[in-house]
Amino acid sequence: MNDQLARARALLSLGGWITLVALLGAAGVVVLALQFTPTEVSQGLAQKIFYIHPPAAWGAMLAFSLCGIASIAFLFLGDLRLDRFAASSAEVGLAFSAVMLTTGPIWGKPIWGTWWDWDPRLTLTLLLFFLFLGYGALRNAVHDPRERARYSAVVGIMALVLVPFIHLSVYLFRTIHPKPVVLRPDGPALPPEMLRTFLLSVAVFTLLYVGLVIMRYALGLAKDHAEALAGGEDV
Amino acid sequence: MADLVRIAFAVAAKDLRVEFRTRSTLLAAAVFAALILVVFNFSRDPTAVPDSVIGPTALWVAVAFAAVVALNRGFILERQNAAMDALRLAPAPRGALFLGKMVANLVFVLLVEAIAAPLAVLFFDLPLTTAGWGLPLLLVLASVGLVAVGTLLSAMAVRTRFAELMLPVLLLPFLVPPLTAAAGASQRLFDGRPLSEVVGWLRFLAVYDLVFVTLGLLLFSAVIDE
Amino acid sequence: MSETPQNGGYMVAAYICAGVIYLSYTLALWLRARRAVRE
Repeated sequence: MNDQLARARALLSLGGWITLVALLGAAGVVVLALQFTPTEVSQGLAQKIFYIHPPAAWGAMLAFSLCGIASIAFLFLGDLRLDRFAASSAEVGLAFSAVMLTTGPIWGKPIWGTWWDWDPRLTLTLLLFFLFLGYGALRNAVHDPRERARYSAVVGIMALVLVPFIHLSVYLFRTIHPKPVVLRPDGPALPPEMLRTFLLSVAVFTLLYVGLVIMRYALGLAKDHAEALAGGEDV
Repeated sequence: MADLVRIAFAVAAKDLRVEFRTRSTLLAAAVFAALILVVFNFSRDPTAVPDSVIGPTALWVAVAFAAVVALNRGFILERQNAAMDALRLAPAPRGALFLGKMVANLVFVLLVEAIAAPLAVLFFDLPLTTAGWGLPLLLVLASVGLVAVGTLLSAMAVRTRFAELMLPVLLLPFLVPPLTAAAGASQRLFDGRPLSEVVGWLRFLAVYDLVFVTLGLLLFSAVIDE
Repeated sequence: MSETPQNGGYMVAAYICAGVIYLSYTLALWLRARRAVRE
């Protein structure tokens, strides 16, 4: 059993280093974006939010999709490690969604003229955010590890299936209420320096996702170990 | 297949029989729905927001909340009598159990709607004859979807300490697609548009229902069994 | 467009928000995990 704790420590260390590298990379991207990437003349400095908002959205979607896929895999294979990964990915996804949901309106106000207009991507992320908050609350409320894993898997799969429906219904909703677009967020065509900074940002934040998930997995592993010790045999 | 239906029917019948012996929850849900309608009426400026706009909105909100009330009662009953364990021990296909519970919940929700919808028509002077059969069709389609998702989620939520809070939290995002479609379609129907114009929304609701009922049939075992 | 809009404030706000969320989550996660693996 102590070997589980040792593994958790090793994973935490690994995750920690990857996260550190990713955070340094993110700092580099920020400098790159602010100092070494041209400013879009028609949109002003606010356009530079482009280098952090879509990567956060990408991170959130990656996190939630992987959670859904791991949930399906868990129901077929029954391996608790899949559940642990799903839970880790879900929590990290919440962090990325939080960034996306705060930077989105801040970007929207100067570019689209309004804080929030039920745009398909923001709305989808908002609903997934609530859903995975509920996912977390459900996990906290169920104490038996296998029951918790099963319930989480069901919610994770339901979330995955729900995504296309939300997308379609928000699209339907908006075709009834079209909003004028004041400025297009990425301009007519993306000049190479902007593309370079953007891609680098996506890479860095993907790395951040990986680092954070590994750390969160280590936490899950350690907590499961402690739970198993405290509970002994469960019925 | 016939077995599945028979068992589902038995489960549904048992649930409904228990419910109607007391009838208190049906009454409570209906009163709650009526309350929502009244609140909607008074929380807007009637000169700025006409009846024709607030009416359908109030109706669908009342439907959504009534569904949550119905779903909560469905499993609390089970938990109180440890009937869930008996259900689990029964050698019945889990899909049948899901179907039975879902049907019982659906009947309950439809009964509440049978009270709430006429009230909404009454309070907001909704053009019922203009909407025609489209409205009941929408109510049924939307309810099936809500109840399918809700039955699956409430089976899990009821095992937690804050079941009454957990269910709405989990259910909320799932309400968006059916409510959007139902509200959009009903508005068009009340405006006098023909049924053929809202076929897209109806199809959307039907697909949502099909997908989540199927998912419920497949996943209920993961919720019930150890 | 005749002139560049002066919206740098939004950019700063967004970058700071993102930074605060990422950093505080990372720190909180690190502390929780470190405490868990010590026990």
